[in-house]
Amino acid sequence: MTRPPEDEDPIRPHSFDGIQEYDKRLPNWWLFTLYITIVFWTCYWSYYQWFHAGPDGPQRVEQQMAAIEAVKLAASPATDDASLWKMSRNPTFVEAGKAVVATNCVVCHLASLKGKDEAITAIGPNLVDTTWIHGGKPSEIYDLITKGVLVKGMPTWGPVLGQKRISEAVAYILSFHQEGEPIEIVPAAPATPPAP
Amino acid sequence: MRDRKVTIEFNDQVVRYFMLASVIWAAVGMLVGVLIASQLNYWRLNFNLPWLTFGRLRPLHTNAVIFAFVGNMMFAGVYYSTQRLVKARLASNFLSWLHFWGWQAIIVAAAITLPLGFSRGKEYAELIWPINIAVALIWVTFAVNFFWTLARRREPSLYVAIWFYIATILTVAMLYIVNHLSIPTGWLHSYPVFAGVQDALVQWWYGHNAVAFFLTTPILGIMYYFLPKAAERPVYSYRLSVVHFWSLVFVYIWAGPHHLLNTALPGWLQSLGMTFSLMLWAPSWGGMLNGLLTLRGAWHKLRTDPVLKFFAAAVTFYGMATFEGPLLSIKSVNALGHYTDWIIGHVHAGALGWNGFMAAGMIYWMLPRLWNKPLHSVSLANLHFWTGTVGILLYVAAMWTSGITQGVMLSATTDNGTVLAYPNFLDTLNTIRPMMLMRVIGGGLFLVGWFMLIYNVIRTLSGAQAVNGSIEVHEEPVPATKPLSLVGAFFNPPVFFSVFGVAFACAWMFGASLVSIGGLVGLITTGVLAFTHFGSRGHAWADWYDRLLVTCLPFSILTFIAVAAGGLIQIIPTVIANQAASVEDRREIPYTPLELAGRDIYVREGCYNCHSQMIRTLVPDVLRYGDYSRLGESIYDHPFQWGSKRTGPDLARVGGKYPDVWHYRHMENPRSISVGSNMPNYPWLLADPLDLSSMPSKISVQRMLGVPYPNWTPEQITERVQTQAKGIADSLKKDGVTVAPDREIIAVISYLQKLGKFEKVEATAVVTSAK
Repeated sequence: MTRPPEDEDPIRPHSFDGIQEYDKRLPNWWLFTLYITIVFWTCYWSYYQWFHAGPDGPQRVEQQMAAIEAVKLAASPATDDASLWKMSRNPTFVEAGKAVVATNCVVCHLASLKGKDEAITAIGPNLVDTTWIHGGKPSEIYDLITKGVLVKGMPTWGPVLGQKRISEAVAYILSFHQEGEPIEIVPAAPATPPAP
Repeated sequence: MRDRKVTIEFNDQVVRYFMLASVIWAAVGMLVGVLIASQLNYWRLNFNLPWLTFGRLRPLHTNAVIFAFVGNMMFAGVYYSTQRLVKARLASNFLSWLHFWGWQAIIVAAAITLPLGFSRGKEYAELIWPINIAVALIWVTFAVNFFWTLARRREPSLYVAIWFYIATILTVAMLYIVNHLSIPTGWLHSYPVFAGVQDALVQWWYGHNAVAFFLTTPILGIMYYFLPKAAERPVYSYRLSVVHFWSLVFVYIWAGPHHLLNTALPGWLQSLGMTFSLMLWAPSWGGMLNGLLTLRGAWHKLRTDPVLKFFAAAVTFYGMATFEGPLLSIKSVNALGHYTDWIIGHVHAGALGWNGFMAAGMIYWMLPRLWNKPLHSVSLANLHFWTGTVGILLYVAAMWTSGITQGVMLSATTDNGTVLAYPNFLDTLNTIRPMMLMRVIGGGLFLVGWFMLIYNVIRTLSGAQAVNGSIEVHEEPVPATKPLSLVGAFFNPPVFFSVFGVAFACAWMFGASLVSIGGLVGLITTGVLAFTHFGSRGHAWADWYDRLLVTCLPFSILTFIAVAAGGLIQIIPTVIANQAASVEDRREIPYTPLELAGRDIYVREGCYNCHSQMIRTLVPDVLRYGDYSRLGESIYDHPFQWGSKRTGPDLARVGGKYPDVWHYRHMENPRSISVGSNMPNYPWLLADPLDLSSMPSKISVQRMLGVPYPNWTPEQITERVQTQAKGIADSLKKDGVTVAPDREIIAVISYLQKLGKFEKVEATAVVTSAK
């Protein structure tokens, strides 16, 4: 018999406002929980703070971001003019691009993609006419979406959408255009309505 | 030998008042909670009114529940039980009533100032400085009244509940004062003395331990009195009380940095926060065990007795929440759960389950005794229990699901891990909307249960006569044990082993090579010696502790040393560390006067309740928000605004991401830009003129606090504000928005466009552990 029966448990002699206290042993599993967490503390501290065996937060995230950059570089899609024109005639690419545009672009460029030409309150310019502000060649459109034009409100989409979705969005925009159509560069004049 | 007896009448009137105040403020606090939970689903419930927006009401909800509901409940329980446990009436009627009315006045002042936007911008520490001073004074009133009562006790030895009350009073005073150190800029506004990482550390040392020493330790004390009383069973284990009390109060304080895991907080503090949180698991469960196992032999009473039902469920929820806490403190779990609803679910398991049910059980127990009339309806109390339980379970389950879902979506990537799967933050928000609705239902059910309690209280009280408890005591009490002298209290094996153990552990953790190795050797030696000594002379430790319990002052001093240690070791190195050495490679550019004015509006509107300004060292954060935040990027932020919840996206690098007109339209109506957003409209920012009258005093306080502003005259400040404001108004005009340059929106835009701007500095030193 390792434990005394219930009614033989040691009870403290004193009572407080009628409250009595047993003085039972601490449960072993409870004690071991405490000890294990203390041991864990010493091991964890030794590993990260004493031996510096593991990377700290900034080191780890920089390693991981570098690995991501490598994957990106290895998987770059073709973003030259010819390839993008080819994509714009491919229904699968255009459909995918339409979805990308619908969730990310229409807030400023509107669903029609006509932007300021349709409503003065729209933030983005018209994308379906033949005038362009920052260049109308497919590769130029691709670069512009990737880098953005912060002062005018075009966000940097590269890290948000990734190369694949940006090329799809370009394909969708180009599906409103014809290869060889005129490209008229009109530098932005945002004060006057609508610079396309 | 004389053995005359005298009768003492307890001051139960103040207990009744505190109890009824708690009942009322609970309803208010929870009503606000249900409203703001609904606002998250239906933005129209913000009513386009400044004082009804989420950002201003959420602080009202948290402050009301913590300080008004649990505060009053705690005072009722502490005063009721202490008088009986020490066999003495409360020392001073005047102090008791000053305490009561002072506390209610503070609550009313908070309920007025918070919706009006007067805020310090730190969570659970939003109240403005004049109210802070009032809180400190009333807390001291409470302390004096309490310790004076102890000094007049006729029961020599201190029961475990009293230990917890002592720890509560001392620690809350320490936390509250340090975290509220501020320099006023006027009657209603101040800047905290700490900035950036220092402010973050102090804030969460306070925030975490407000949970520990305002919502946990006093309630554990209350549990140790009311639970064995209601169960009519002895407490399960006295030695468990001793071990879990001391380990709890010592370890709790260290765990604050777990609110700042994976942030710019130095790594050594993060490691401390995580490991000490894990070590907190067993001490917390010691309290749960002592509560639940005390019910052994009384479980059959749970069938009929609502009081015991509430207590048993409350202690169970306590155990659940204190298991979840360490779990969430593991860095990798925290990476997923932090900033999400999981945390909201965690705190509500504590607030509704532990605090709410302990309060209900205590109120149902005291009510018949304080008015000498049976409870109006036991079955209604049972219905309250089941309604409340279902409410909590719905609430917590909804928040777990919501938090984990959103956490997983926010970190999901595609294209071989190179791009976010859900780049639009709103996709993740709109996925969890059903869960947020279920939370409203769960919280609503809990509130319905509380209204049942209110009805029961009203019906029980009608026609009832208040009675005060009394007790017969010997006129001249004789101490049962010889008290310890001050020297005897501190110079003895248990204290020596504890002090040397902590000192060696610190030497090991923070010392340079040889000191560190010596510390480790010393730590192990101390541990072995302590075990050996306890094994052979354990009864001497027990005798010493019995004698310590009859001496209030040494006991209180030892408690204070135990709770102060962790804070001192974490905060002092961070505060005195050379700022230049801790900026890493970047230093924040100080705000222009206009940007500072915009920042004050950001704080006023409580934007930090939904938006963080801290990009963690985690890939999903970096992919979504940009390069991770550095320490130096917030060194001039009084107060820091790192945030603790992302109902909306992080704003640390939002500056320059969108044009001015984007922000204008977004503040006017967020849904015009971000379809599906649940952010309130801020039409008053577009209409109200910016108040510049306090700018000179604000800038001079910032200078005093070390922000490198030149010594501008008020005219120079105004001129700078006007020049910058005109630039923004012009840029808006180009995009078709005409707004006067003196409106608040201009300042807000200037602030938002500045976020994330820093200058490169030479890396002078690498941040290492505290030296």
